[in-house]
Amino acid sequence: MTVVRVDGERGLALCASEDGARHTVETGLVDPVSLGDSVLVHAGVALVTLPG
Amino acid sequence: MRYVEEFRDPELGHAMAGEILATVEPGRHYKLMEVCGGHTHSIYKYGIDDLLPANVELVHGPGCPVCVIPMGRVDDGIAIALQPRVTLTCFGDMLRVPGSRGTLLDAKAQGADVRMVYSPLDALRIARQNPDREVVFFAIGFETTAPSTALTLRRAKAEGVANFSCICNHVTILPPVRALLESPDLRLDGFIGPGHVCTVVGARPFEFIPADYGRPVVISGFEPLDILQSIHMLLRQLAEGRCEVENQYRRVVPYDGNLRALEVMADVFELRPHFEWRGMGFISHSALKLSAAYEEFDAERRFSAPGVRIADPKACQCGEVLKGVIKPWECKVFGTACTPEHAIGTCMVSPEGACAAYYNYGRLARTRQVV
Repeated sequence: MTVVRVDGERGLALCASEDGARHTVETGLVDPVSLGDSVLVHAGVALVTLPG
Repeated sequence: MRYVEEFRDPELGHAMAGEILATVEPGRHYKLMEVCGGHTHSIYKYGIDDLLPANVELVHGPGCPVCVIPMGRVDDGIAIALQPRVTLTCFGDMLRVPGSRGTLLDAKAQGADVRMVYSPLDALRIARQNPDREVVFFAIGFETTAPSTALTLRRAKAEGVANFSCICNHVTILPPVRALLESPDLRLDGFIGPGHVCTVVGARPFEFIPADYGRPVVISGFEPLDILQSIHMLLRQLAEGRCEVENQYRRVVPYDGNLRALEVMADVFELRPHFEWRGMGFISHSALKLSAAYEEFDAERRFSAPGVRIADPKACQCGEVLKGVIKPWECKVFGTACTPEHAIGTCMVSPEGACAAYYNYGRLARTRQVV
């Protein structure tokens, strides 16, 4: 999924999937994310930030 | 789409299939187990087994979280869902898993408030929005999903959301793999390791497989070229007499896993002494329960549930399928009494189940067309 909005204070990000659907994602398990980052998300949690 | 299209190139796939063919020893039969149901799904979706030589057999493992949930746990979920003021939440594929007297979807039809959620965070949101109801999350999944439940419980505790709780059915992948390696029913030559579980636990915990059992492991991604390359890496290890853990999925899997996720899990969960796996019986230290620090969120403490062990239906052979002893088409009810629309066994319910993968991609017969 691609990060489209970041709420660093709450450790959340809005992410868009391949089909355009958007989901709130918990980002506490990865280094701080930025707009445009690709993340591997499972059950609403980013587990890995994919290399740019 | 980055990370997708470049791993689905058909020309590269055929080239990789040629390298696999050149690596195998004629006359030798290779049995490789893909542990994860996500791999099983990709293998049949993309026709990967049709690209393999006839003497390379893929055996499907127990890594489908919905498939391994025993009937008794489903019955417990239904019993809690039917209690007054309870809203039970779960992932979509859990809704149709059969218990002894129906599914969670059947309970919903009887009037229970059962809702599908995308993540445990959604369940927590429902709890915040409905303070007059008890919101229970039916948690399933391997180490890939457990961090999500753990983080949600941490949030619930920090926010003091007292009407939220969890039926914890999280399981761990290594004990059943060890059980399979100990099984006299099955001779395996190597393992395609579960890439997504390894994003959390890393590749290192799999080192006991080559060290103690002399079988190679390749941690694999889920796109067609990932899986073909992993098969090639396994066959190359066998051809060269090597036996080790290799990481094909390095773009995603750190060798030591996600340390933050492991730390959160260690805080929120502890190992159960034993847990029942559908078709595989009780396996020691193979599942998680909430730790003492989080027991206030344990739905099994908060609500009464039968907690009874229920035998699988006699006609269903999911256990043998999950252990890789038989192929789905060898089950007596596959594709006849048991279909995705009317599943008897769990392997037909989840898209990651081997039976559903065979059925959905037309592998209804035993013949395999090798190209």
